[in-house]
Amino acid sequence: MKPLTVNFRDKAASTLKDKQIQQSLEHVYTGFFQGRLAAAGDTPDWNELRTKGKAIKDHTIAHLDYYLEQLTDNVEKNGGSVFFAEDAAEARKHIIDLAHKRNIKTVIKSKSMVSEEMGLAEAMNDEGFETIETDLGEYIIQLADETPYHLIAPAVHKSRKDVAKLLDDDFKEGDPVPDATELTMMARKKLRSVFERADMSVTGVNFAVAESGSIALVTNEGNGRMTTTVPRVHVAVMGMEKIVPSIQDLSTMLRILIRSATGQRISTYVTMINEARKSDEEEGPEEFHLVIMNNGRQKLLANPQMRESLNCLRCGACLNACPVYRKIGGHAYGWVYPGPIGSIISPVLTGLKDASNLPNASSLCGACHDACPVKINIPRMLLELRWRTAEGSTGKNERTSSYNERRIWGLWRLGMMGRRRFDFGARIASIVLRPLAKNGWLKKAPPPVSGWTSTRDFPLVASRSLKSRLHKRDRKAKP
Amino acid sequence: MTDRAKFIANVTNSLGRIDVLVPTAPDASTGTAGFDNPDAIKANADRALADAEKRASELTGLMAYSAASAGWNVHRAANPEDAAGLIANICERKNAQSVLRSTHDVLSQIGVDVAVTSTGATIGITEHSGENSSAKVDQSKATAFSADIGITGVDYAIAETGTVVLHPRSGLSRLVSLAPATHIAVLKPGDVLDSLDELFALERNDFLNGELAGSLNLISGPSKTADIEGTTVTGIHGPLEVHLIILE
Amino acid sequence: MTDNTTNPPRPDRVTLFASCMVDQIAPHIGERTVDVLEYLGIAVDFLDGQTCCGQPAFNSGFRSEAYPVAARFIELFEQVEGPIVVPSGSCAGMVRNHYAELFREDPTMVERASIVGERLFELTEFISRFFGNAAITGRLESSATYHKCCHLLREIGVNEAPVEMLSNIDGLNMTPLERADVCCGFGGAFSVKMPDISSAVLDEKLDNIEATGSSTVIAADTGCIFQMQGGLRRRGSAVQVVHIAEILAESLINTSETSSLN
Repeated sequence: MKPLTVNFRDKAASTLKDKQIQQSLEHVYTGFFQGRLAAAGDTPDWNELRTKGKAIKDHTIAHLDYYLEQLTDNVEKNGGSVFFAEDAAEARKHIIDLAHKRNIKTVIKSKSMVSEEMGLAEAMNDEGFETIETDLGEYIIQLADETPYHLIAPAVHKSRKDVAKLLDDDFKEGDPVPDATELTMMARKKLRSVFERADMSVTGVNFAVAESGSIALVTNEGNGRMTTTVPRVHVAVMGMEKIVPSIQDLSTMLRILIRSATGQRISTYVTMINEARKSDEEEGPEEFHLVIMNNGRQKLLANPQMRESLNCLRCGACLNACPVYRKIGGHAYGWVYPGPIGSIISPVLTGLKDASNLPNASSLCGACHDACPVKINIPRMLLELRWRTAEGSTGKNERTSSYNERRIWGLWRLGMMGRRRFDFGARIASIVLRPLAKNGWLKKAPPPVSGWTSTRDFPLVASRSLKSRLHKRDRKAKP
Repeated sequence: MTDRAKFIANVTNSLGRIDVLVPTAPDASTGTAGFDNPDAIKANADRALADAEKRASELTGLMAYSAASAGWNVHRAANPEDAAGLIANICERKNAQSVLRSTHDVLSQIGVDVAVTSTGATIGITEHSGENSSAKVDQSKATAFSADIGITGVDYAIAETGTVVLHPRSGLSRLVSLAPATHIAVLKPGDVLDSLDELFALERNDFLNGELAGSLNLISGPSKTADIEGTTVTGIHGPLEVHLIILE
Repeated sequence: MTDNTTNPPRPDRVTLFASCMVDQIAPHIGERTVDVLEYLGIAVDFLDGQTCCGQPAFNSGFRSEAYPVAARFIELFEQVEGPIVVPSGSCAGMVRNHYAELFREDPTMVERASIVGERLFELTEFISRFFGNAAITGRLESSATYHKCCHLLREIGVNEAPVEMLSNIDGLNMTPLERADVCCGFGGAFSVKMPDISSAVLDEKLDNIEATGSSTVIAADTGCIFQMQGGLRRRGSAVQVVHIAEILAESLINTSETSSLN
């Protein structure tokens, strides 16, 4: 998928004005966010589980090369094949070549953010394969020719009417809008016939188990099971970080992932695939292929400050907790991963220069860190990336701050390095601004705070500092 | 260098190393169960099974509760005849023409074939015929997609989550619990594990013994989605209705 | 006041770190902080050289500008002993959590920052820890709601203590704020660089505030107070946003007036 991170401000501004999307985004809080809180509250050892989940991921990522080797050996031992893709283009090419070789006509996809990185569905359709998303949200997005709005709720921004226009062939403007059940049943009918004729599937991977060469898939809809059962060729795609060492680690990881994603104790289906159809099974794919993709993740791995971001389980809890995501929506982030996690990984994977707004689009409130099932310290990494954009700390070519901005902070430092300067600067500001103020507040302030007064009044600097007031108080107190 | 070698070397370099470092058994805080010794794993698995027997009635009660929360229609059957009656009722209510079932012992015990055929429906069994052609596979799939009801036992159940666990194999197709619009699972005391921990301890033990099934399905309620305006709707791809019959 | 047994030994002398914004924009909050501490029997010292902890530049990514300012802060507050109290969770979080990041190339500085950080308390944290949440039982006729400032809540871990403190004030009618722990959209330079997003977050907060029908919003961090008050003023609302130190101090004035009347 082509990054559009550079359009952040425009896309955010238009979403802020879109009343329907603003209303749809409410569900992110009332549904997902509060669901997670309730589920966490119902789990007595919740915090310990998160700590354990973090420890499992920290350990795995610290030995990622070892576990990748182990996983690959075991997938091959189970009769599957493993392809290593350095980037999205390699992955796409491999899967398309495979489809040609196997004479594939119809490809069904279950939800996979990694396949979004590859732009796989579009590429396969262009290549002449009927390629259909089967997660309802993804299906809606595919029909609308858009990209997912949320990690686990791709169509969260769509109203029922939007969906009706896409799903209901008979729907006309002015018709009563079908309810969610009717729309879902329309989708069921359409997708059933696709399932029955599909000959290849592409799924994601929630966890790959190194010791057994298994993959685990978490779905509520059952498309994860359909896609791994019906077609004769199953291709699973994963980012190289999605590994856990042991089968037994799944209980911890599933608990924290699912509760954090939807607030459920467990999703309707958890499917663990150890190999293609065994000879005594009635159905199941003939072939299992695993595609493991790097696509820039090594940059996260190589940077100790950013490595923790590879622990991400893609649950979406940070999006749901984020007051900024809940206003600007998923498309503003301009690439596959929206919200706080997107703000730390998209800049590294797609280029910080174009994405420099992403780490800055945060109030640093910390709600994402609180919500993360593996305790990823997202604010810390936002600050790290801000440092890179402001001062070019890891390369001057990444610096996007303006000369003026740098000059202002230089002046700020001068002012803060001595009390007299501090007081002097404040008094000048107070004197200059006083004529513009009413009751101690400014309706319009000059740069650099003019942005503030576009929507809010700004407080006037006091005529006397606290230091001066406390000195006066001391004098009064003395007889 | 092969793609694999190049890829892994890249990862190794990114980790700041020249060679792959084999992880050593980490301290307890590292979390992963990957370093548990085989004796401990076997002991865990044995304990999980012993617990399921010893605490059968308690765990069955917990299962009934959490399964209902997960969206199963939970029925208690005092004896095999009651269970058969419940199944016949569901077949009649759904006006089922064709029913598919697994070869779980519990189903023969309750005389499920008679119960189903008494309602006028046909019953098929998902047992591998020994014929391994793709035509046979296609035929099995078509049968499953055209069935109105799928009936299975359970390989395990999980009290923590209200989950039915199935390992597809000969006698238990992958689709019998997925393709038909209604799925009925029959559970007997002793099937219920305490939590996901016990399940994966057992799977791990099976794996170490070379007995891991080809796949594993955890099923907790009906197929559902909330992708349209956050409204939960059951039955998007899998069953719209799921029944759990607990045989006392 | 609560009895001594429930709390650690009480300090009788502290040093105030005002924070740059209280010092120059809202000095009355500093004065009310001193009032409250003095009421608790604490002598309050003020280091005249103080300016800022460095957070604004650090959060904006200008670490080379933040560095000397933060180092200066450490040097200054190393000169005194005993607890340091600041009426801001954000500044406390900067010193206690982020100095380690800022100074990470210099272990000596990290160590020095950690020693100062251990002595530094946010105001309500300080009162709650050493004097208990029922230490101040003044009187104030008003209707109010409490907003949980993000850094105080998530970086310092102060959640319900201020709410409890406020519940001990006679005549103060507290209404819980819906989504009290959701950010007000301030975020320092973010509020200036991305004003439309900052304000969209603020609008949700202000709607929830207005829904309480309270005349006053109580918060514990100056930036959030400016953000909410600035937005309310722009809406034409008469709701006042005040620092918790102001409420606690004012409730004590009323108590002493009442007692003098009796």
